[in-house]
Amino acid sequence: MSVQQNLEIRRSSASVWGSQSGMRSVPTVSKYIDTTTCIGCKACEAACIEWNDLRHIATEQTGTYQTLPTLHAEYWNLIRFNERDFDGGLVWLMRKDQCMHCEEPGCLAACPAPGAIVQYANGIVDVNPDQCIGCKYCETGCPFDVPRFHQTTGKMAKCTLCVDRVSVGLEPACIKACPTGCLQFGTKDDMVALGARRVEQLKSNGFTNALLYNPEGVHGTGVVTVLAHGDHPEWYQLPRDPHVPILVRFWKSFLRPLGAIAIFGAVIGALTHYTKFGPKEVRGVDAPDRNLPDA
Amino acid sequence: MSAARPQRPFDTAVVAARDRENVIVGNEIVRHRLVSRVIHWSVAVTFFVCVFTGMPIWTPVFGWMAHLFGGLTVCRLLHPWAGVAFFLASGIMFVHWIGDMRLEPGDREWLGPKAFAYMRYETEDTDIGKYNGGQRLFFWAAGLGAIGLLLSGLLMWFPRAFPPLLLEFAYLIHDVTFILFAVAIVFHIYLGTAAEPGTFGSMVRGTVTREWARLHHPRWYRDVISGEEDRRR
Ligand code: HEM
Ligand code: SF4
Repeated sequence: MSVQQNLEIRRSSASVWGSQSGMRSVPTVSKYIDTTTCIGCKACEAACIEWNDLRHIATEQTGTYQTLPTLHAEYWNLIRFNERDFDGGLVWLMRKDQCMHCEEPGCLAACPAPGAIVQYANGIVDVNPDQCIGCKYCETGCPFDVPRFHQTTGKMAKCTLCVDRVSVGLEPACIKACPTGCLQFGTKDDMVALGARRVEQLKSNGFTNALLYNPEGVHGTGVVTVLAHGDHPEWYQLPRDPHVPILVRFWKSFLRPLGAIAIFGAVIGALTHYTKFGPKEVRGVDAPDRNLPDA
Repeated sequence: MSAARPQRPFDTAVVAARDRENVIVGNEIVRHRLVSRVIHWSVAVTFFVCVFTGMPIWTPVFGWMAHLFGGLTVCRLLHPWAGVAFFLASGIMFVHWIGDMRLEPGDREWLGPKAFAYMRYETEDTDIGKYNGGQRLFFWAAGLGAIGLLLSGLLMWFPRAFPPLLLEFAYLIHDVTFILFAVAIVFHIYLGTAAEPGTFGSMVRGTVTREWARLHHPRWYRDVISGEEDRRR
């Protein structure tokens, strides 16, 4: 989905010049997810399909209430159901899986197609299908395993944070549909403050490891998640310390420009050689001391 | 060629170069027979389809190349298939030429000062056979490079079939191999065309002059001459 007309762009993939035009200052927006009050009703999944006109795909039985094993090009919002033994009993954990809209998006860092992944000034990370070439580099760049290749369009697909709604002042469809209020939407600052309050509440209720998941490794995310068991993000199938893969950064922003210089260097080297030494001519060697059979 | 033919061909060297190699025809010596040339050019053509479809994806600095094929999306579509074709052509070339390319003891020196001395026209090596050490090393490097590009490229083609960490390395290997390959090819083309006049003819017409052979590949030249004398005897 791309609604670039009115949106200021903060960062654009494979841009030779880099970033932000910075003409208007726009607050960064964020989703707030409270896993402790999620009841697993999947209203957000349905709302996502409806609003984004996603095709209905066959569900898959995974042994839990989960709709599909993982995200899908036609399924951008998936409640993950996890069960854990804890404190002599069982905890049932539900976590809304979707694009995290990272401050420092690995997908954008890896993307080789100019403008195919953009981060708007409000922080939303979006795939622009006009520019996307379906190379799947972003799959390797994303620390949350989010972007999916769409077989029919040949482009990548993922949560847009309902940029088309947000840009006209509406909240994302999933937020609108949530019946418990465990999903909220607003500026990043407000959502972080809300999360901090909720974490304090959980701590005083005995969940001493409660945490607002807003990982530093990607400079924070545009989706902040309250975890009661913050010491075990893996229980929610969240990476403990996500970051843009260091090798991706290395080859994308260092090795490739360096390689381009090396190739230009080789061409210049050959031209220089030609100017300095010229061609190796046959006539240059008819020197008498060459002890070779005559032609 | 033979006396039994009613008509002498107009250009005996070209006729001989269709299926014979290392033979003297007049003032020329056949260096690459037709099949060798076809194999070499199929490698070169598939390589350049890979280059021009891959480089605009590689970095936006080369984005303009995408227009040669109708845009970046077409490039992305063509590149892996061109890569497979390049690998197949390279494999055929490898098998075809391996007999001529067995490394000789001194070849290692071509990686260092010897290559520079060669480029300064300072070497006076009368023991160069059909290919020099640099050419042989290039042959092996190209074979190795083709394998490296294919394997890493397959991972990049089907990323979900492999673990993420392996993929990060695949991109790295594809990139490093390409950079080395590209630099080598720049010099390969330069040496095969402008730097050493007469060489390009060996890949299109198939022949070189005796003088060219004596200058660039003296031992091969002597072998061809003495072989010819043996045959006459
Ligand atoms: C436009 C591009 C190219 C030109 C003009 C070119 C030219 C030539 C010429 C003239 C020769 C014969 C050298 C001799 O007889 O001593 C040759 C040989 C050879 N070419 Fe190319 N070539 C090109 C691209 C390539 C590419 C892409 C490869 C990829 C692997 C390649 C691999 C080889 C190898 C292995 C040999 C034999 C060893 C050697 O002479 O170095 N060539 N080429
Ligand atoms: S979660 Fe993945 S797809 Fe979403 S912004 Fe971060 S890196 Fe990109």
